[in-house]
Order: sequence, then structure tokens, then C-alpha cells
Amino acid sequence: MIRLDGISKIFPGVKSLDNVSFEARAGEVHALLGENGAGKSTLIKVISGAYIPDDGTIYFNGKKSKWTSPKGAKDAGIHIIYQELVLFHELSVAENIFIGEAPLTWFGTIDYKAMYERAEEILDRLGHHIDVQALVKSLGVADQQMVEIAKALVGETKLLVLDEPTAVISGREAEILFERIKLLRDEGVCIIYISHRLEEIFSIADRVTVLKDGQLIDTRGIEELDRDQLVGMMVGRQLKDVFPAKKIPSRQVTPVLAIRNLCAPPKVKDVSFNLYAGEILGIAGLVGAGRSELAHALFGSIPRSSGTVTLDSEIFNTPSPRESIDRGLGFLTEDRKGEGLMMLLDISANISAPVLSEFTTVTGLDRAREVQVAKDQIHRFRIAVPSPGSGVSTLSGGNQQKVLFGRWTKACRRVLILDEPTRGIDVGAKVEIYEIIRQLANDGLGILMISSELTEIVGICTRVLVMREGFITGEVEGSQIIEEVIMKYATTESDSVTTGIGDVLIK
Amino acid sequence: MMLSKSNNRVRRLKLDPSLIIVILLLAIVIVCGFFLNERFGTMRNFMNVLEQSSGLGFASIGQAMVVIVGGIDLSIGAIITASTVFMAAVVDVHPGLMIPMIFGTLLFGVAIGFCNGYLTLKTGVHPLIVTLGTASILNGSVLIYTLQPTGGVPYWFEEFAYGRIWNVPISGAVMIVCFALVWLFLHYYQTGRAFYAVGGSPEAAHLCGIQSNRVILLAYSASGFFAALAGIYFVSRTGVGDPRIGDPITLSSITPVILGGLILGGGKGNIFGVLLGVIFISLLSNLLNYMNISTFIQWVIQGVIIIIAVSVYVHKGKNL
Repeated sequence: MIRLDGISKIFPGVKSLDNVSFEARAGEVHALLGENGAGKSTLIKVISGAYIPDDGTIYFNGKKSKWTSPKGAKDAGIHIIYQELVLFHELSVAENIFIGEAPLTWFGTIDYKAMYERAEEILDRLGHHIDVQALVKSLGVADQQMVEIAKALVGETKLLVLDEPTAVISGREAEILFERIKLLRDEGVCIIYISHRLEEIFSIADRVTVLKDGQLIDTRGIEELDRDQLVGMMVGRQLKDVFPAKKIPSRQVTPVLAIRNLCAPPKVKDVSFNLYAGEILGIAGLVGAGRSELAHALFGSIPRSSGTVTLDSEIFNTPSPRESIDRGLGFLTEDRKGEGLMMLLDISANISAPVLSEFTTVTGLDRAREVQVAKDQIHRFRIAVPSPGSGVSTLSGGNQQKVLFGRWTKACRRVLILDEPTRGIDVGAKVEIYEIIRQLANDGLGILMISSELTEIVGICTRVLVMREGFITGEVEGSQIIEEVIMKYATTESDSVTTGIGDVLIK
Repeated sequence: MMLSKSNNRVRRLKLDPSLIIVILLLAIVIVCGFFLNERFGTMRNFMNVLEQSSGLGFASIGQAMVVIVGGIDLSIGAIITASTVFMAAVVDVHPGLMIPMIFGTLLFGVAIGFCNGYLTLKTGVHPLIVTLGTASILNGSVLIYTLQPTGGVPYWFEEFAYGRIWNVPISGAVMIVCFALVWLFLHYYQTGRAFYAVGGSPEAAHLCGIQSNRVILLAYSASGFFAALAGIYFVSRTGVGDPRIGDPITLSSITPVILGGLILGGGKGNIFGVLLGVIFISLLSNLLNYMNISTFIQWVIQGVIIIIAVSVYVHKGKNL
């Protein structure tokens, strides 16, 4: 159906795809697997026409493809469903399905009757029943996903690409999604399925292609593989080489941070736990489980409604980021460019920002010392930059993240909260960051680490809390820290999960 | 690398890319002026231009500070108008209050600016609308009070606008000192750094513990302060309180800010560029006056220059 031949795509400083070739057939579900930064998204954008490859050819239906834009790919019969759904929340299901292609009456107005009928036909074909006149905003995420898939069936879609569709839905909904996908596969549609969750690959894929660091590792039939082989292909080395050795701290009597019955509506509900100095406490859970909100509530950047937080035996209940920083907390957020870095300022200003008062003298800021501290941190974290005065916007993701580590290790004395610390950075930088985190814990910081990548939670955390729907639903320690146990706590069946996530998406 | 290390500060002053365009514009107008008119290129003329540019200069300092924190102040003209009328009317009746009224007027400006900032923060309404509202209230109130220029100040007060020390105009010198102080504040003080942080990345600034509310209040208050200072300058220059004097200054205070390389979204730019922008605008209109080109054609020329200059910035920004 589609064949990619020697595709390369180069961005300034990174070879995002390096001579990648693979093909997917009609009537198969072909999984595309790889860690973040492996080149999956770039590959999809090449297929969709959003990126023009620097080298290589795409053959579609045996012919050399000519499209150079997403519109061209769509006309050829390629439909992509991105993780962030592209729906109009104030329009009905049918209107969304037929957006831009609505059936018209004689007078050129939209023929609603025909549109509703045809929308129902399409949903019948998917075997999924939702009210076609309902507004999309009233649906859960799983149903919204079905609307996206239905959109693909309006035209003649030969190739359907799904980009991590299960990241935002619960386990049972995922099973329903898989049934629908298989229905389409049996009709002869070619489906490319992107994921980094191994479990589901085995229940849906016919063949698997693994990418790593922009290079093709291999394409195999799913029956030839087991889990460990797949992990080995994805990570490219043994897990023990990626993660530094765990070191479980001697359990102290008083925790550095104690949280009791913390609530921060609407996403954080009755959360209690202790964090000890020197430990790396992981917080796992699905997207939308309330993990980031918990971090913000702790740090004081969203309001709490009730509960107590005790830091070093001192209660502080109405914090602000300023107060949290002054008391020794640090927070490295998941949104590196929006909430983390100040993109218009240079590296030294980014590093000194939370503790700028330390650099203030009677005659104003001590710029020389500020630059010196930045130099020290650049050296310490091996940040690849020309000078402390360079801007941060042109740095790679890994180096940007290291600048933030430089910032918070300067500012933070007691507890460092990390929200997705390795998101969107390449494997080499990840390994360095794991070492940094390990080192910080050894130095006596309490580390609270939120991550959606189970491999990394399992690899680095000495204790793990699992969140679901705003509650902490499980705590695992020691040999119990394995993906299956964590996933079980994260996804115990409940449909209300989706409504919670829906809020996020609608916003 | 060694080179960039040792020359770090020097290089930054020399090659600050946001200043290149305004310096280029300034060079062009000065060179053209020398050739086109023999009276343009004299020290005397430059000093006159410096004196005349002060009103716009004060207004632009305030506008620039608000723009850096990511806002905009459309009430500057109205604050100028209200300040002139307020000051001239009071001093007319109580000439003895001349000196206290200078401080009184500045305080008045700060108060209005503070209100702008407070309303922006409390209501969450875009500052464009808040300050437009304040401007309308102020202008309306002034026109209810008087339709004609009114009041008066003692004769000696003209010294602020027209006085010279060693042939340097006092008002121009005060303007340059103000720019220098604000530059120092923005680049060498914690709160000044916070201006850029809040303007460029409000969320990140918040999570770094920067109290952005204070910064925003300070920026608008400063804008009110400098607008009132501009008002005082106009009272000194005209001797009366004029209910229409500030009208054109609101928008013209934005021009040097843009030419000076600040971006309207906030978080970036050098206040020194704004000073150069003010001088450029004043020199340009001075030159065109010498050449007997009508005000209306001057507006057209200014408009063309702004659009060209800003599109060059945008284009350069992409390459950087």
C-alpha cells in the first residue's frame, strides 16, 4: 500500500530521520514503535505531506507519490488522526464528520437530513453508536476519537494513521477502539498505529517497525517477537545501561515533605503521602489523572481547597511559587517552553531567575556573579552552548532541559518536583538526565518525579505512587515496581476517566 | 570562543541587533539632512530638536515600560491632557503652590497609571480596552471642565521647557537622564529583570516566584508618572492647560517604541533604542519642516517608515 524508500529528514543540528525504509500493506495493522524522539512523529509528518523529506521516495499504491502538502496526501486517501483531536466542540457529531464536505441541497445550503443519514451510515460501518446530532463537547474522549475515525471514512481512505490513540483513554475503551480498528483492517484499510505501549502492540498489531534515534531498527511480524526483544529493539541497549543503579535511602523518621488529604479541585482529590530525603518517588498514571495538577498544587501555582502540607515539620498551607521557592522547593514543569524557560532571555538569566535576590547588591544586580554561576552550571551539566549569554530558544530539547536543571539545582534545597523530565529529548540526553536525577537524590534532595513513560518510572524510582482520576490508587515499592502492577492501578475500569480528560481537551 | 568571552559586554553594546535598524535610520536622516539643508546640521538645531522632543520622549519611556511587560497604554495622551489642565488650573488660582503642584501632578499620573494596572489585573480585560476606557473618562472629564485652554503658570516655570545650561536644553537633559535611569533599572535591577521575564514568559515567571502583579502595577504606574511629566513639560512650554494637547501623543508614543526594536508582545528590547527612536522621529520632522513639506505628507512618510522598519525586524527575527 505504502512504501517508504530511504527517507531522510534533517533539522538544524539533528538528523531526525536517517535513511528509513519500510512498507505497510493493505489489510494490516502496522505498529510503529519507538521512544520519544525516535522519529515517529517526523515519519508521520513526512507521510502526511507536512514535511518534505530531504532524501528518499514514497510509493503509494505502487506509484511514486507526488503530494507536497497535507491536502495532497488527504486527496490521495491518507488520513491521519493525531493525538490532539481536531474537532469543533460547538458543532454536532455529523457536522464534524462532514466538515468541509457537507452534502448540499439544490439551493447550496447544507442538507442536514442527508448529512445525518450518511453520518449514521458511517458510524454503523464502524459499529459504533452515538447520537449524530449531539454536540461534540458533550462526548467523552473515546467517542470523540470515534468521530475522528468516522471523518476518515467520508472520503475513500486507504491508509489510516493513528498517533498514540490510547494515551488518553481507559483500558476498556482501548479494547473497543481495537475492535473498531480491526473492523477497518478487515475491510482492507491499511492502518499505521503509533505507540510506545508494548502491551497493546501485542493485542492489535500484525507487524511492528521499530525506530530509534531516527534510524530503522527492524520490521518484524508480531508473532516472531516477545516483550523483552521488543524492549531491546526500542531502547537499543540493556535497561541496566540506561538507568543508574538504584539506591534506596535509609528510611528517616521524619519525611522532608508530608502531605495529608490534599484537595485541589477539580483534578486532585484527597491525596496523602510522605516524601523522604534522598528518595526518588515516582508518580505514575494516565494522562489526565491529575498528576501535574498535584505538582502545581504542591508548589502553590494552583489553589488548594483543603489539606495540609508539611515541609521539614513546618506547615505551609497557603503557598505561592515565591514562598515555595524560599522554603526550598523547585518545580521543573512538563511544558518546557511555556512554563519553564523564558525563551527571550539568555541562559544566565534563566538560571538565576528563581533566586535573583541572591544576586542583588546595593548597586543592583551582580551580573558578573550571575554569569559565573551560569558557567558553573553549564560545566556541571555539560550543556552544549557557546556562552552564558546565548539565548535558550535555539538549544536542543536536551540542552534546554539541562538549563532548567541548572536553574533548579541552584535554587532548590529540599524537594525537587520533576514533571516529565525527559519528554521530547533524545536518548543520549535522557541517560545524562537520569544520572543527574540520581545524583541529586544522593545529595539529599527529595525527588518527586511524574512521568508517563513507565520504563523510566520503573528504571529510576525507588517508590511509586499511582494516580487515577485525582486519587492515589496504589503505592508500590522495591520488586513490586513493574509495569503491569502500575498499569493495573492506573486503569481499573471506570468510564468516568474519560469525562475528566475531556475537560482538559475541551479547554 | 575566547574572543567572545573577553569582549562579552562590549560586543553586546555594539551589536545589539535590535538597535541596528534605528541606528541606521538615524544615520540616514542625519546624512540626508546635512546635504539637503544647511541649517539642519548645526549644533544649535540639534539642541532645539532635543528640546522639542522631550514631550514625546517622556511619553515614550512610559509606553516602553508597559510594552516590555506585555501591555499597552492608550491613556498616555489623556493623562498628559488631564495633567496640564489640573496643574495650570490649580496654579492659576494659587501661584504659591507651583512647586508642590509639580509633585502633585506626578502623583496624579502615578495614581491613574496604578488604576490602569489594577483594573487590568483585577478584571482580566485586555489593557488595550482598560486604558482606552480610562482615556475616555479622563478626556471627557477635562472637556466637561473646559473646552478652551485654561489656567496659567508663573513665567519662570518656562525655564523647564526653554531653559539652557551651557547651551544644553534642561528638558532634553532631563529626558536623557530619565532614559538612562530606566535603562539602569531594567538591566541592573532585580525588578527590571522581572519586567522582561513577565512580559516574555508570564507562566514561567510565575513559577520562578516572580510576583508579576507587582511588576505590572509598577509598569503602569511608571507610565502614568512619565505621562504626567510630559504634561508638566507641555504646561511649561505653552503656559496653559490645554484640553486637547495630549490627543496625538498616545499613538505617536508607540512609534519610537516600535522603531527602537521593542516587540509589542513584550519581553524584549532595549530602552536605549526608544530614545534613538524619539530622536529619529524629531529629526525627521525637523528636516521635513525645513524643506517645507506639509504635516500631512510627513504623516504619510512616517507611516511608510514604520511599516518598512517593522517588516525588516520581523524578517530578521526569523533569521536569528
